[in-house]
Amino acid sequence: MSNIAGKAYSMNLMTPITRKMILINKLIFWIAGTPYFSGALNGLRTLSLIHYARWVVVGRKQFPHVSPDQPEEDLEYNYMFFNSNFNGSWTQYVDSFSMAIPSGLNLLWKKNVGWPDAVPETPFNRYVINNQIWSSHYYCAYPMAASNDVKAGQSIKGGVEELSKGLDSISAADFRKKYDATTKKLENDISMMAPTPVVSLANLAIEKRERIEEGKK
Amino acid sequence: MPNRSTSKNSERAYGLSIYCPIKNEHEGDVSFTSLVRTALQDFKEDEDSPMAKVPNTYLARFFIVDDVIFESFPHTNDHLQSAYLAFSTNFHGNLDEYLTGMYENMNTKIHNVWQYCYGFEKVKDAASFIAYIKKVQVETSYFFVGSNDDSLPEQLKSLYLKQEFSKFVFANQSKSDDELLAAYKEFDARTKPAVLEGPTWRAGAGSLKNVNKG
Amino acid sequence: MSTKRETKLDLFDIQGNIMQNFAEKGFIKARYLFLEIKNGNRGREFVTKIKPLITTSARWTNDASDPYGTTEPSATSNISFTYNALKKLGLPILSLHSFPDEFAIGMRGRRAILGDNYSSDPENWDPVWNTHDVEVHMLISIEAKNMDNLEERYNKILSLVAETNGGVILFDGSLKDEDGKEITYQDAHALDNEAGQPTAKEHFGYTDGISNPYFKGMLPGMGSVIGGGKKNPKALGIGEPKGNQGNPILASTWAPLETGEFILGHEDEAQEYPACPTPPLLGKNGSFMVYRKLHENVGMFNDMLEKTGADYPGGKEGLASKFAGRWRNGAPLATFPNEEDGKKIAAAREAAQYKQAVAKTPEEIAAANAEFEEVNKHFTGFDFQKDLHGGKCPLGAHIRRVNPRGSLEEDSASYNTPSALADRRRIIRRGLPYGTSTPNSNTGEHGIIFMAIQANIKRQFEFVTQQWMNYGSDFKLANEKDALLGNQTPDKDKDGNPIENVDGTMVIPGDDGKVPYFVSQIPRMIETRGGDYFFIPSLTTLEMLGKRIIDPT
Repeated sequence: MSNIAGKAYSMNLMTPITRKMILINKLIFWIAGTPYFSGALNGLRTLSLIHYARWVVVGRKQFPHVSPDQPEEDLEYNYMFFNSNFNGSWTQYVDSFSMAIPSGLNLLWKKNVGWPDAVPETPFNRYVINNQIWSSHYYCAYPMAASNDVKAGQSIKGGVEELSKGLDSISAADFRKKYDATTKKLENDISMMAPTPVVSLANLAIEKRERIEEGKK
Repeated sequence: MPNRSTSKNSERAYGLSIYCPIKNEHEGDVSFTSLVRTALQDFKEDEDSPMAKVPNTYLARFFIVDDVIFESFPHTNDHLQSAYLAFSTNFHGNLDEYLTGMYENMNTKIHNVWQYCYGFEKVKDAASFIAYIKKVQVETSYFFVGSNDDSLPEQLKSLYLKQEFSKFVFANQSKSDDELLAAYKEFDARTKPAVLEGPTWRAGAGSLKNVNKG
Repeated sequence: MSTKRETKLDLFDIQGNIMQNFAEKGFIKARYLFLEIKNGNRGREFVTKIKPLITTSARWTNDASDPYGTTEPSATSNISFTYNALKKLGLPILSLHSFPDEFAIGMRGRRAILGDNYSSDPENWDPVWNTHDVEVHMLISIEAKNMDNLEERYNKILSLVAETNGGVILFDGSLKDEDGKEITYQDAHALDNEAGQPTAKEHFGYTDGISNPYFKGMLPGMGSVIGGGKKNPKALGIGEPKGNQGNPILASTWAPLETGEFILGHEDEAQEYPACPTPPLLGKNGSFMVYRKLHENVGMFNDMLEKTGADYPGGKEGLASKFAGRWRNGAPLATFPNEEDGKKIAAAREAAQYKQAVAKTPEEIAAANAEFEEVNKHFTGFDFQKDLHGGKCPLGAHIRRVNPRGSLEEDSASYNTPSALADRRRIIRRGLPYGTSTPNSNTGEHGIIFMAIQANIKRQFEFVTQQWMNYGSDFKLANEKDALLGNQTPDKDKDGNPIENVDGTMVIPGDDGKVPYFVSQIPRMIETRGGDYFFIPSLTTLEMLGKRIIDPT
């Protein structure tokens, strides 16, 4: 059981939507997806904490049915699943989400049963935790990289490839010019990655136990 | 198609969501749902995760929806008839190719986990796996790409270069022009910036010690 | 807006160290006492007896008719408690369990979050924090203008301790002074300049403690909304000439933070009451405090400045300024990127402070205060909106990390609250330097007694320490750490084995198209020497603790 894979945190939120709201919900997502409408999600983009996130609405009759032996579902509500991969942990960043982009959050979850509003934070946080399903297994291809690092890597790779062109014929003085221009362009991308700071008290508990075993206080 | 981002510069990323009904059965005194959970929780982590072997996986998770979540008000008695194994993965490229890669690289684990699901008995090979997954796939309503949609080898090489180039820059601050060029030639030969195969970062590696590959 | 709707605090119920910066009032000698409660009954008696000595947040005035005022004391004293102290004092278990987990765990237990490893590991802390049978329960701080007044208050408290007949003990033999002599307290004091005048500088030579949060309920003189508040969501420069909107030097750009970010029992920035122990009266008008003794490796710092400063185009002082985000005289880089301009404004501030110090008549005092405020706003009234790439103040500079002033919300139109990401991470800073140092001092007793006061230690102090000082992801700096306060990993462990790490670097972006500079091999310049998490109760709660009448039922 872990929602943590290095710098990434996995969140699975399952929230009900009433029958009559399902169309409205689909409309909201359609709007959110059009390039002309960015208000609700621009904040998410500039918060820059997210690798990938998705909203999946499973209608009350849409839970996959694959075998005659499988009992048919009979549900009152439709369900929305929100699966996010973001940097940090929910506890650490709940404040950022709640106060920074409440109107975006409210738009996307507005019609879900029990949604309390993104502000104040305590009922919002309680709702999120109540409706969260912990991952049984979570994998990230780059546990030491935050979303920002992946983006910075893309810029750096472009810069390095350019810098590597014509190395055999370039003079040292010309290379210096090219190099300075490159590091200037990449100055906000140049930094090193390492494992994440401790995010889980569970890890802490392990360390604590080891310490006790070592006879330290 | 909402399984992909609707934004032009990130449409090569794909978000696959599947919900597989788990049989309402038990083995000895253990329910199938618990057996699925145990199988998943026994997966090793980071570079030893079976998902590390599946080409082009950015991030993936498994979780079990054992029932719907009760909301108190307005009161309803909604309940699921089966528990569902949910698999949610973010990857680069084409769904069929991805699932083929997944089946080829972790079919033992796949059968270990999925054997407890309805309808899975028909899965014998990559083609039947793809057919099964498409039956249990649910459409994404909105897919948000906050990162990018490059192939995983491209992303890993980029991260490798970010790390190595940054080290280079710090180490070569205030070097003479000649020293700088000489050092960079060494850097270029060592890091092979255009070669994705390596040296690069190892998929799933979580520590400085084992992250480099090739 | 009707003034009747403004926040009105019972300043006499709130301990003085929360709302008053005693050092700014010339109380530049401090002493910190660590006590353990051995016996609950006598501990409660002690709490009752010390209550009349506790300094409140009421402002100091000679005007007897001032409803918020009291006369200036000869010395101040404040008291706070660890979780175990509250247990020992007999707080009901329901109340105890209603305190936040990080407070119950304490600073030692949270060391992995705080990055207290290697030389900052608790095993290297002062004996008082590091001896098996010693448990610090109460922290009493004393401040005064001179040592005589301080000693007088100290002796008064000592006699109260003596009256408990061992029910409360003051740790002795647990601390060492600069000469290695064992003493029963931690002293701290403003550092003098060459002329023997006290300064606001710490051992690295930076003017410290310039900016503190400004929140609702503060009276004039308790702080400044300019830079001390949050970005004003409603009135970003409204009523000001066009082009001035959002100008950080204007008061209208800022609004006071909600009281509940710092004091329990009042509305906070999330538009609710902060998490508070049960019953609410137990927490109301109280707060949480982090006490942290930070050793400064002055020699390492100066080596770094000498070596890298010789190569860095801005020189030694330029490098020092980029580390901090302020010139060592305190002028902020965001608005004073040029050293000469920084010197001028710093000289003006010093002159204004001098006038404040020598002002006698009420008219002189008022004039001096007004002059100081006018110049001081240049030290607090800035942000990074025109410096998003850090050409002036690096993204990783200390003051930009610990208070990004709205710069994380680059595209502010996308946010409902203009500085939301910083508003909930603010802390009130208190404390003074301790010990004396020479430019080469590494070992020895010198550093800062740092105290952070806030409603929620986890969200405020711990987050800032872990995510913003010891990490850089929110600033798109990957794992880069604060050059001055970051817990840079050493290259070798105690046994000489190499430790793989990428620490010790800082990017200094170039200004106006100039090339950036990449600093490496930054050592760990600050080390933790001990501390803990404390609850600062209101005067009401202090009384109830003493009488053992707190009932959560």
